[in-house]
Amino acid sequence: MTESFQRYREIIPEFSDFQEALGKPLPKHFRINRLKVESATLIRRFQERGIRVQRSMEKDDTLHVVLSELDSLGKSIEYFLGHIHPQALTSCLPGIALCPKKDSAILDMCAAPGGKTSHLAQLTENSGLIIANEPHKRRQSPLGHTLSRLGVMNAVITSYQAEQFPLKQRFDYVLADVPCSSEGKYRSPGKDAPPREVRQEQKLAELQKKIIVRGFDLLKDDGEMLYVTCTYNPEENECVVHFLLENRDARLIPMHLDLPQDPGILEWKGGRYDRQIRRAIRFYPHRVDSVGFFMAKIGRRK
Amino acid sequence: MEKRFGIPKSAFDRYLLFKGSKSWHFVRHSPGIQHVSKLKVSRVGMRAFQKVGRFVKPSTRLIQCFGHMAIRAKFQIDRRQLCKLLAGEELTFPAVLEDGYVILFLGEDMILGLGLLLNGRVRSLIPRKEIPPTFLER
Repeated sequence: MTESFQRYREIIPEFSDFQEALGKPLPKHFRINRLKVESATLIRRFQERGIRVQRSMEKDDTLHVVLSELDSLGKSIEYFLGHIHPQALTSCLPGIALCPKKDSAILDMCAAPGGKTSHLAQLTENSGLIIANEPHKRRQSPLGHTLSRLGVMNAVITSYQAEQFPLKQRFDYVLADVPCSSEGKYRSPGKDAPPREVRQEQKLAELQKKIIVRGFDLLKDDGEMLYVTCTYNPEENECVVHFLLENRDARLIPMHLDLPQDPGILEWKGGRYDRQIRRAIRFYPHRVDSVGFFMAKIGRRK
Repeated sequence: MEKRFGIPKSAFDRYLLFKGSKSWHFVRHSPGIQHVSKLKVSRVGMRAFQKVGRFVKPSTRLIQCFGHMAIRAKFQIDRRQLCKLLAGEELTFPAVLEDGYVILFLGEDMILGLGLLLNGRVRSLIPRKEIPPTFLER
């Protein structure tokens, strides 16, 4: 059994189950793109071709997992047509948690490669405006390609450093899917996790704090922000949200998602966090067979 | 689009058209779009048309989004015919139609993109590298 992530033994429940889950490959989750096809039509076509799929969430008919032996979803005709997007189940949760209304103004601060951005476009039915910001030039092309393939027509791509996004307008919704150590993506049978790079993680946390503050400052008075990472590291998760709560008039908004989840933690390495952080959510691979995730929904204090 | 395919102008009422040097982009009209002019923009919406020589060609992605509204210049093909087209062969168009673009459908409702009809023969304008080879092998 892998000895990965021992430092989290005290905060990850059923730690041995967690380690065992890391030894299994990620399932082939995908999202049906309602901008281009109805779920029932796509499922029927797959069934006619003998491709077995199963819903991943009871209340959402666009999220599925492939049960059949299939080479790669990216090699299907449905992928070319923009009818499906291979996307981890937990990666679809930010859109569901934000639940944006039609005709709203949305900022996706670190948008590439575009899975979450396109999900937001689908949820708003291509209405309103999405600013898909991507600071790295070489990632803008794949972002644009994803948005085009999926028929997104309400998005504009900008190229600011996320923490420097101009304060010229405010948004109904802000998605801060920040650069992180990506521990949640780690799955490797029989191998240990790659060694930690502590200084890199410290730099990341500094950047994440800047991004979360800028994201919050870009909210309208009744706007909502989602801070998201795919790491288990509290220094990139709860600690960053706590930093925001200490520096801005912010509050955490409870979320109710139809999947096994754990609350944000309140203590780590001698540091204590604001009690509101219990409203944040952690997703672990042994509870939800997908990428590990952290989400916190934030609004302005009324 | 209306003259060739019968897609009504009204289908595009909710969109703004931005012109670049060799292409045009569609973006959904919204109150927030006015703020975009103050930002450093890399790309607006979806590429809708591009100049090809002296002609203007609708993009594959635009046709995939609006092609279901077409009432003419449509060509329904099967998988075998698609493989031929993608291999560079031409197919005979089964009706009388002026030279120009036709919308390629795989079966009744899967809109692939455009073909070019010249003298009764159609060749594919679908980006070849985007169709997975494994699909064609089956």
